[in-house]
Amino acid sequence: MRGITPRREQGMADPVLAEMVHATGATESRHYAAVKPTIQAYRASWVKLAPYRDGPVNSQRVAVDDPAAMTTQVKAKAMELGANLVGVCRLQPHMIDLGSEVSHEFVIACCVAEDYDKVLQGPDAVEEEAMRTYAKCTEIATALAAYVREMGYPAIAHHNGASEVQAIPIFYQVGFGELGRHGSLINEKYGASFRPGFVTTDLPLVEDRPREFGVQDFCMNCNVCQRNCPGDAIPQDHVMTHGIKRWLIDLEKCYPYSRLRDEYCHLCVDACPYIVKSYPETYKAFMKERKQVGYKTPKSY
Amino acid sequence: MEKLYVNEIGPDGAVNTVGLFYSHPEAQKIVDMLRADPARAAYRYEIIEAVRHVLSDKQPRRLAPAGKE
Repeated sequence: MRGITPRREQGMADPVLAEMVHATGATESRHYAAVKPTIQAYRASWVKLAPYRDGPVNSQRVAVDDPAAMTTQVKAKAMELGANLVGVCRLQPHMIDLGSEVSHEFVIACCVAEDYDKVLQGPDAVEEEAMRTYAKCTEIATALAAYVREMGYPAIAHHNGASEVQAIPIFYQVGFGELGRHGSLINEKYGASFRPGFVTTDLPLVEDRPREFGVQDFCMNCNVCQRNCPGDAIPQDHVMTHGIKRWLIDLEKCYPYSRLRDEYCHLCVDACPYIVKSYPETYKAFMKERKQVGYKTPKSY
Repeated sequence: MEKLYVNEIGPDGAVNTVGLFYSHPEAQKIVDMLRADPARAAYRYEIIEAVRHVLSDKQPRRLAPAGKE
C-alpha cells in the first residue's frame, strides 16, 4: 500500500528550518546542536534499536481462530511492556508516508504518556521527559514486533529511529482521541502529552473505532494554546481533510521558539486544558503562573 | 516565506487539504509525488496561497495551476 501523507523532514533536512538557520548566519539549528548528554543517550537508544524493527518470522505460525482474543492478548502484551494506551486499526493510505509503501494489513498503536509534573519543571525537564517517552515507545514497538514475529506473522516496528507511518491519523482511527488546535491529538486523560510507537503486521486482529468526545468543537472556542504560543504560530481558522478540522501550524513562526533556541518549547501542549482531569492542581497552578507572566511569555524566560 | 496549501480534489469534487508548504517547489514536489500514484489517477491537485485567519471563511486566492489541470 502506497502512502499519501507528506512527512516533513527533521533537522536541517527540513528546507524551512535550513533557510531560517542560514538566514541567521549559522550552519546548524541551535536546538539540535545543543544536545545534552541525557538527550544524546535517548536519541542513541532509538538509533541503536532501528536495525531490529524487522527480523526473521517464526516458520511455525500460531493459528488465530479468534482474532478478538488475539487482539486482547497483543494489547495486554503492549501494556505489560509499558504502554499507557494500545489500539488497533486497518492500515490505510493516509496513515503511510508519501513515498513509502507498507504491505501490512493492520497497525497496532501504542502510546506512552509524559509525566505532567516533570514536564512543568522547565525546558530541560520537558525535553528529557519527551525523549524518555520516545525512547520507551521505541522499546515497546521493537519488543512487540518481535513478539508478533515469534507467533509466525510479519511485523515491523515504527518509532523515532525509523518509521513509514503517521501518528495522528492512526491515533484517531484507533480511538485515542481527536486532533486539537495545536496540531496534536488530544486524549481525554493525557491531553496531548504523550508519544507514539507502532507495529504494522498481518496478524489477524480486530479493529478499534474512532472515538469522538467533542475536542474539535471545544478547540473552536478554547484558544488557550493559541494565546500561549510565544510565536503566534497557531492559526485562528482551520482547513478540512476528510472531514477532520486541521489547524496547520505556521512553522516560520514556530521555529524561532522551538528550533532556533537551545531550549525545547512545549507550551501549546502544556497549556492544553484536557490535561486538567489527570492533574487538576498542577494545571491550575501552571495556568495561574502563565496568566501572571502574560500568556505569550515563554515560561523559561 | 510563501505559505501554500496543496489541495486534493476528489472525483466527487470534494476538496481536502494535503498540507501547508513554504515554497512553490516544495508544494509542487508533493503534487508530483501524489500524481505518480496510480491509485490517485482520478484526483486533481491545486496549489493555493494560504491566507491566515480567513481560511475557513473566505475563498483562498488561487495561484498558478499545479501543472496540467
